[in-house]
Amino acid sequence: MADKETVVGPETRISGEVRGEEDLIVRGRIDGRVQLTQTLTVEKGATVQADVDVRHLVVSGTVVGTIVASESVKLTSTARVVGDLASPRVMMEAGAAYRGRVDMGDIAAARAAVSSRAVQRPAASEKLAIHPAPPRMATAAKAVVSGKAAAPVAPAVPAARSTIPAAAVGALGPASPPAFPRVAGAMGAMSPAWAKKKIRRR
Amino acid sequence: MAKEKDTKPMANTVIGSSIVIDGEITGEEPLTILGTVKGKISVAQSVAVEAGATVEADVEAQTVTVSGRLTGNVVARERLELKPESKMVGDAKSPRIVIADGAGFKGNVDMDV
Repeated sequence: MADKETVVGPETRISGEVRGEEDLIVRGRIDGRVQLTQTLTVEKGATVQADVDVRHLVVSGTVVGTIVASESVKLTSTARVVGDLASPRVMMEAGAAYRGRVDMGDIAAARAAVSSRAVQRPAASEKLAIHPAPPRMATAAKAVVSGKAAAPVAPAVPAARSTIPAAAVGALGPASPPAFPRVAGAMGAMSPAWAKKKIRRR
Repeated sequence: MAKEKDTKPMANTVIGSSIVIDGEITGEEPLTILGTVKGKISVAQSVAVEAGATVEADVEAQTVTVSGRLTGNVVARERLELKPESKMVGDAKSPRIVIADGAGFKGNVDMDV
């Protein structure tokens, strides 16, 4: 059908919703939501910060968000992924960094959960806050999880996290304001006489 | 990434015919649209709305070439071209505007005269 494949180039960013019935290759960046009936390929250097609902997912770059793949997910050695993952087949190569839950069971339930959510919301920060626990590694024979993959998770996560500073700050935001006036008050009460004098002198 | 660019010299952004994008596209490289884009497009280089494509968005680019359907305001810093069979509704702002025989257009034209 499509004479040209769909490519998001390295210097291009899409924010919003992407839907389609063909393969999509991301070399740049997509924020929001991706829904495809075919394969999503996230190449090395690319970032997808989105809820993903596809048939096949191949990640060599960074994905932050909830993933539902109706057939398979493959995380290559350069993949950096944070977010829950539901797919009947999950492959992880040595070197892949992943944090989140893996579910190889009920895809329909996971898909319903994802599709019921609004598009423009920081999925990643919420996931990080709710599920700080290490991933429950898949036990099915199809999943290839190397021993090496577990170790690099910690050093790799800051790289993934660095892509979502705004979201993370947003999550922390509501907690910090009450602290601020209290700190200011304490500072004021504690500020020594010499400090006040200095100010007066100026 | 350099390797990928070598193997694919046309490493631009292409939105395929079955793809629907609802949101904003920003970028520094040529963009070719065969599918549907709603929202906003802002790129440093060219935007091509191919035959069969539907764009309902404000477009800002260096050059804009329309062969399909475009609804929205267009600012082309260099050139706007409406090919035959194209349909455009919206205001066009560009120093050079080419409207081919057979193109449909409704809107204001601003050539900065």
